[in-house]
Amino acid sequence: MLAIVSAAAIGCDKIDENNYIVYSGASGEWFDGTPVEDHSQRAFLEKYTGVRCNNCPTADQVIAAASSQYGDKLVVVSIHDSNTLQRPIGDSPDMRCPDGDTWSKALGVFGAGEYPMALVNRKPSGNGWERFNPVGGVSTQIDEALAAAPSVALSLSADRVDASIDINVYIEYLSTLSGKQTVTLLLIEDGIIATQKMPNHSDSAGYQHNHILRDVITDLWGADIDANGQAGTCRKARFSYTAANQEWNLDRCHIIALVSDKESKKVYNSAQCSISAEK
Amino acid sequence: MKSIRAKIIVFAAVTVAMQCVTSTVAKAQGILGGHVTGNVQFDGQLSKRDTIIGSSDVPEKLLTNARADILYTNGNFSAGLRYEAYLGPMLGFNSQYTGQGIANYFVSYKTQTFAVTAGHFYEQFGSGMTMRAYEDRYLGLDNALRGINVTYRPWKGVTLKGLVGQQRYFWDTKGLVRGMDAEVSFNDIITAWNESKTRFTLGGSFVSKYEEDETILADISGFKLNLPKNVAASSVRMDLNRGGFGLQAEYAFKSQDPSIVNDYIYKNGNALWLSASYSQKGLSANIQAKRVDNMGFKSVRSISGEMLYINYTPSITKQHTYAFLSMYPYATQSTGEMGLQADFMYKFKKESLLGGKYGTDIHINASLITGLDTTVLGGKGTEGYSSSFFGTGETYYGDISLEIAKKLSSKVKLTATYGYVVFNPVVEGHAGDIHHNHVAIADLTWKINRKNVLRFEAEWMGSDSHYDPIVDDKRAGDWIMGLVEYNFTSAWFVSLSDQYAYKDGVGNYYNLSVGYTKGATRLQVGYGKQREGIICIGGVCRNVPASNGLTFSLTTSF
Repeated sequence: MLAIVSAAAIGCDKIDENNYIVYSGASGEWFDGTPVEDHSQRAFLEKYTGVRCNNCPTADQVIAAASSQYGDKLVVVSIHDSNTLQRPIGDSPDMRCPDGDTWSKALGVFGAGEYPMALVNRKPSGNGWERFNPVGGVSTQIDEALAAAPSVALSLSADRVDASIDINVYIEYLSTLSGKQTVTLLLIEDGIIATQKMPNHSDSAGYQHNHILRDVITDLWGADIDANGQAGTCRKARFSYTAANQEWNLDRCHIIALVSDKESKKVYNSAQCSISAEK
Repeated sequence: MKSIRAKIIVFAAVTVAMQCVTSTVAKAQGILGGHVTGNVQFDGQLSKRDTIIGSSDVPEKLLTNARADILYTNGNFSAGLRYEAYLGPMLGFNSQYTGQGIANYFVSYKTQTFAVTAGHFYEQFGSGMTMRAYEDRYLGLDNALRGINVTYRPWKGVTLKGLVGQQRYFWDTKGLVRGMDAEVSFNDIITAWNESKTRFTLGGSFVSKYEEDETILADISGFKLNLPKNVAASSVRMDLNRGGFGLQAEYAFKSQDPSIVNDYIYKNGNALWLSASYSQKGLSANIQAKRVDNMGFKSVRSISGEMLYINYTPSITKQHTYAFLSMYPYATQSTGEMGLQADFMYKFKKESLLGGKYGTDIHINASLITGLDTTVLGGKGTEGYSSSFFGTGETYYGDISLEIAKKLSSKVKLTATYGYVVFNPVVEGHAGDIHHNHVAIADLTWKINRKNVLRFEAEWMGSDSHYDPIVDDKRAGDWIMGLVEYNFTSAWFVSLSDQYAYKDGVGNYYNLSVGYTKGATRLQVGYGKQREGIICIGGVCRNVPASNGLTFSLTTSF
């Protein structure tokens, strides 16, 4: 009994209350950068969806067609928040993401309770953001986003090193921006098989879900960009990340980067890259 | 699974080595003096699409869960293995089980004072609040440890246990778990107490897990969690008995354990379980109380789901067997709950006023489970919350049932049951109104003769829940059920049942089953519809998706 009491006293690590969190490097290590080669303006489309939403597969078809049409000019994320329609059917994988849930609530999707719902580049509208049902088409919003002159160019790379992912983001200010800007990194998984309600109200057990938001790597609304916003400024940031859930299949994952306005959340530009094999 | 051949070679080598040891230690038994026992279970399922109940077509058409346990015993020595095949797993079982191979193997040597097991083993300390490695095949749950487990009894009345191992995770092993337990029976070690009517046992356990550091970001930009690599849980327990009275208690404590279970908070965990009972011929009474606060303890902090739990929170709700009383089972909330259960059984004697000619049994059971009264202090990377020890939060679950069993004649027995269930869907992880269900059941058994038995069962459930296509809970509404079961020739049985939602619900679930038993072999074939729902055993639950089709099962032992 004495041995058990002794073991209990020494057998665990006690973290002091002031040290529950420590600097992570998730805000990135920042360096002087070089100009970004690709100055393309891209459209960031975030779709809020659910496995019990029978209209959502139609939206998936619309977005798949748009991806074919716009190629790498369109960056897509599919988000399952914690609303009722997102509850997994049977023992299907749970695709709900707490970070996506926070976004959904902040951007007014959760409160509206209508799915599917989409935003492109988080375009401000009134006191909120412009949301629309993607079932009716997404080209209008994407064309509008792509027509804007790019104010920021960015590119990124991601490499697996042991259990972590090294991510390098390259940012070039093409025009001067006021206020603060942030860079947000997302972990996205494709090819998840999970049961989905279909438009005819049947369940499709073999439905393939793509662009699923698994985690926001940086702070939820992005890490502050260490720059003064002046046109011509080039910065490079290095991030290190370890997947928060071992059930995510990193072989099917890629990374999305967004540069946003810190206040309005408007997305200036976005880019995505695959994760290279483990070195 | 990747190294089945290697496992077989290791298993064979260890078995031969242990055989050499045992034959040396206990030559009288001889090397070939052992015997082999085992059991086999094969379950299969065919299911087709049904849009009303929500079942899907199965791509494989046939789903099978199969297993064979083989045990070799030779005196104090034993060795065993279990081959499992999930090709593919039946509906409701985690798809990560897909595959086949030797899932469990061990060698063991046991004497009166010493026992050692190498390989896979199951173990429980006390009520399990710090350590319970167990398997429940019907839940698809297997938390076996693979490592070394030692038990030593240095003196009569003193039992010491020690273990180290990794937990099974489908076809892999994960985590690192170490534990020890001590139990002392004072009536055995104190001579003056040997014959005492009062029996007193004291025990304690300590369990620790180790995990490497990993990056889990805090909610504050640029910061991550400072994770403890070693997390410990310990407990003390007592068992006091005198005559028909019994009193058991266990208190457990867990150190800081930020994990996906508690949303990565740093609050210490604790749990208290109390049980008082009295029994005599024809009467038994039991009261249990429980308070659990942040006691989810997994060997891998970032993996969700039912696997990899090191500990177990005892359930104090009745395990109902009738369909409608068990329609909304309660899943134990290891993150926090308070509960109280009272159970009373009494037998009115034959020829008494209420007993009549054959006597009457009554069984009353009531339980109430609530959340904790908490004050939120923060989210991920904080203390999380504080809680009042005696304060209660929202109601999670409550039920009361009265069961009266009476023989109406020498061949006919009637069991009548009334139950009232209050269920909060938040315990299944989603919002919604609290359901209130009334259930009435009549169960009549007619023993026609020694080899022929006919059983009728009628159930009714009235609920204030309504089926909502958005929520899609197919248990909602008012239901009726009928069942007829005929056992004949002592070997065959046939059963026909139907559950029908006659108001505010959807679904008509009929089932036909035929079974045959000969010796240790049992074969059963069924056809019908299974409602989507949840089954719980001991407070641990799994989802059961809807199905429509054929099921069959074969079990045998040798």
